[in-house]
Amino acid sequence: MELLNYLGMGFSVAFQPMNLFYCFLGVLIGTLVGVLPGLGPVAAMSLLLPATFHTTPVASIIMLAGIYYGAMYGGSTTSILVNIPGEAASVMTCLDGYQMARQGRAGPALGISAFGSFFAGTIGIIGMLLISIPLVNFALKFGPPEYFSLMILGLMVLTFLTSTSMVRALMMAAFGLIVGTMGLDNISGLARFTFHIPELLDGVGLVPVVMGLFGISEVLLNIELKIKREVFTTKVKGLLPTLDDWAKSIGSLLRGTVVGFFLGILPGGGAVIASFVSYAIEKRVSKHPEEFGKGAIEGVAAPEAANNAAAQGAFIPLLTLGIPSNVVMAMLLGALIIHGVTPGPLLLSQHPDLFWGVVASMYVGNAMLLALNLPLIGMWVQLLKVPYAILFPIIILFCLIGSYSINNSSTDVLIMLAFGVIGYLMKKLSLEAAPMVLAFVLGPMMETALRQALIKSKGSFSIFFTRPISATCLIIAIVLMIMPLLPWFRRRPGIVLEKEDVA
Amino acid sequence: MKKTFLINDLVWIVFAALVCYGGLKLGFGSFHQPHAGFMPFLSALVLGLLALVDLISGIVNQWKEEKGDKKIWADIHWGKLFLTLALLFIYTVLFNTLGFILATIPLLFFLYRLMEPRPWWIVFTASLVTTGLFYLGFKVGLDSQLPRGFLGF
Repeated sequence: MELLNYLGMGFSVAFQPMNLFYCFLGVLIGTLVGVLPGLGPVAAMSLLLPATFHTTPVASIIMLAGIYYGAMYGGSTTSILVNIPGEAASVMTCLDGYQMARQGRAGPALGISAFGSFFAGTIGIIGMLLISIPLVNFALKFGPPEYFSLMILGLMVLTFLTSTSMVRALMMAAFGLIVGTMGLDNISGLARFTFHIPELLDGVGLVPVVMGLFGISEVLLNIELKIKREVFTTKVKGLLPTLDDWAKSIGSLLRGTVVGFFLGILPGGGAVIASFVSYAIEKRVSKHPEEFGKGAIEGVAAPEAANNAAAQGAFIPLLTLGIPSNVVMAMLLGALIIHGVTPGPLLLSQHPDLFWGVVASMYVGNAMLLALNLPLIGMWVQLLKVPYAILFPIIILFCLIGSYSINNSSTDVLIMLAFGVIGYLMKKLSLEAAPMVLAFVLGPMMETALRQALIKSKGSFSIFFTRPISATCLIIAIVLMIMPLLPWFRRRPGIVLEKEDVA
Repeated sequence: MKKTFLINDLVWIVFAALVCYGGLKLGFGSFHQPHAGFMPFLSALVLGLLALVDLISGIVNQWKEEKGDKKIWADIHWGKLFLTLALLFIYTVLFNTLGFILATIPLLFFLYRLMEPRPWWIVFTASLVTTGLFYLGFKVGLDSQLPRGFLGF
């Protein structure tokens, strides 16, 4: 009953005209960046963050969240029609979605993708409602050692699942931690690695770093490529899947939703990993695994459900523990802090309107997305025809304005350009940007937790192993670190994902 | 020998050594009373050790699983790349002095031309329209603080 009251409060917040407008704007922009390759949800969120300064924290988070799950919807369109994933979580949809389109079944592929996303998003929200309150109560038992160990676990899971080389992914995480230490020390107030530049006293901003690594670097990389996109020009018809399609897909949708939701909650997890894992599971349980990759509708339904459920699930650790589980959530953490809201176990009691308003808005946003994606599919297809020669200067301009308008500082723009070059070199050398960004965001929190824990234990590291929650997290992290060294693990094909953008 | 990966690891090792030194200069403190240099030192130590592991494993395996140097660097249009970066750097330096509109029109003009050569008047019109739309969207619509420049707009 109490849950229904909270949900009622959430919907009353979500249905306020201002919040409805921002929700619509968020899902619209999200679909747009999902459709357009080259500008992902992370870059879009960092770009629009300054624009939300004038509004309320609730409206701001509703819009930024809308961009995230909106991009999950939009990304499938490019995967199915062009065989280019609009964003990383739609990579798996390409395999069967594009084949379906080639067989003249683009409509059902787009339809099952949109309905499946809506279904998974809805179940994901129910999961959020059920899990959040118990998790908040559990999180109240957390002290500095638990927070530190949980963040270590998050970084370890991310490097374990997303990299072809765990050593290099960990190197990038260490680099992120170093960049995160720039600026004034939280405890002593001493300036660290600021090189007498006053703008660096507050540290390096998240937005310039993210825009450089994910936006500018992408443009620099694509300057050297001659990309030809072949958009599926036949008219997309019959968006409603047939009864046979539904019968084939329903199990995949359910499995994808459950897998995606729990992988979304997992620190270091997220929509990309969820879509990869759900596709692998679907292929394994299927009676006709040979049809996968040749236009099996289950191969579209499962990853699409998984990436949307994961997008919802990822909000749980952020809103209840204050720990972002992936780069997108790190952006949201930054947005909450800028708006003076500290995410964590107390968020639910101190800002219930924000917590439940955001949860309810996701449901409203999912309904809006269904309306946006199916009837307007023709418009999104037209957008795909925008040539890169026009698109890239516009992306650059978005990045320049976005990084400047945070502090009205040219130094931030220079930092963004520097990280653009670093990101470009990282991509050339197959170094992952995602562990770097997550470590960069978690770094200051990790440092504070580590130093507080050590002061509390008078310098003894045993504090991390004598407290059950902390010890469990660290043991799992150690196991994940050791596993790639084991011969049986190294022989298993396809366990490691090769995706650079784990947002 | 794949020089790119060898140089990459060496750069990270040197970088880690510099940060370790910086951390020690800031003050490591002790485990029961960590100071400002504690976290940078530990992070850099981890980075340096991992880079060393990567270097040794690369030398032992001869970087067999990696792309060759030629494959990594062959297709790059160095001219376009450096020109783009130079344009962006000049734009950033002049942004405040010239103001958003005066700085952005030439930037877009050069970027559009760089990406795909088209008649100058088409490119100029496109630059003008794009700048105008961005100005309307960000300055008028979202009230972003874009620099006015010496002409006051």
